[in-house]
Amino acid sequence: MALAKQARNVNPAPDKPSLIRELVEIADYIAHLRNEIAALRANELTRDRLPMAHEELGSVVAATAGATNSIMNTAEEILGLPNDKNYRATVEARMNDIFEACTFQDITGQRIAKVVEALRQLESRLSRFASAVKAKDEGGIDPEEVERRVRKELLILNGPQLHGPAVAQDEIDALFA
Amino acid sequence: MALDLGMPILVVDDYQTMVRIIRNLLKQLGFEEVDDASDGTAALARLKNRKYGLVISDWNMEPMTGYELLRHVRADEALRTTPFIMVTAESKTENVIAAKKAGVNNYIVKPFNAATLKSKIEAVCGA
Repeated sequence: MALAKQARNVNPAPDKPSLIRELVEIADYIAHLRNEIAALRANELTRDRLPMAHEELGSVVAATAGATNSIMNTAEEILGLPNDKNYRATVEARMNDIFEACTFQDITGQRIAKVVEALRQLESRLSRFASAVKAKDEGGIDPEEVERRVRKELLILNGPQLHGPAVAQDEIDALFA
Repeated sequence: MALDLGMPILVVDDYQTMVRIIRNLLKQLGFEEVDDASDGTAALARLKNRKYGLVISDWNMEPMTGYELLRHVRADEALRTTPFIMVTAESKTENVIAAKKAGVNNYIVKPFNAATLKSKIEAVCGA
């Protein structure tokens, strides 16, 4: 900012107006860049939001694993129950354990919502920054990353599809008929 | 031909919950001899040490995927006739066709139930 003001106050020599003008433009651009970098609030992202997202997702994994184990333990217990006069009462009690374990969904939903909000913030700030500095991606993709992506694509290591199976079981069965 | 409920079955999945689900479904169907492995490499080691009547494998595993395991099994003289069912959440037609070409006997899309598993085992192992 100070540099830009100083440059503007200089009385340009008749033979060097374009040089001064260019310096002013550079100084303005640097000042603009500094403002945009500050608006990224990178320290806040790395100090608060990203660690929070890690922590929340870790908790979601732990909660879903815990609930799944609890539900499966109960189901296995029910399968092993003797068929005696206490059967119904015991099954009903175990069912309540399953309902209780299912409450994880409410909590994990809230945790995931916080992570989604953090990602939205990050996307919004990066998008604003990229647009403000007219950033262009260069250098291509790391060859190792390309190899990793190709392997994932070829060997379908990308995990489940977003909106259910691409081909239904019936159609697959037809291929094996 | 009735199903041989005593045949050893190898379940291959890196997700322990899925292994447990398949084990329980197999138990419901009457199969008691069930081993498991967490990826293709571990499965191959098990296959070298015991003769299995059926392999039920996930596709999406590291370091060796179910597809790679299938190719190894079909390329191995001693293992090539082992019935092999692929179980996966991914079901693009080209993947199903690739698995079929590689010699898979059947293909199940997750999530599935005991009835689906039973019908595929019957189709593969004879009923």
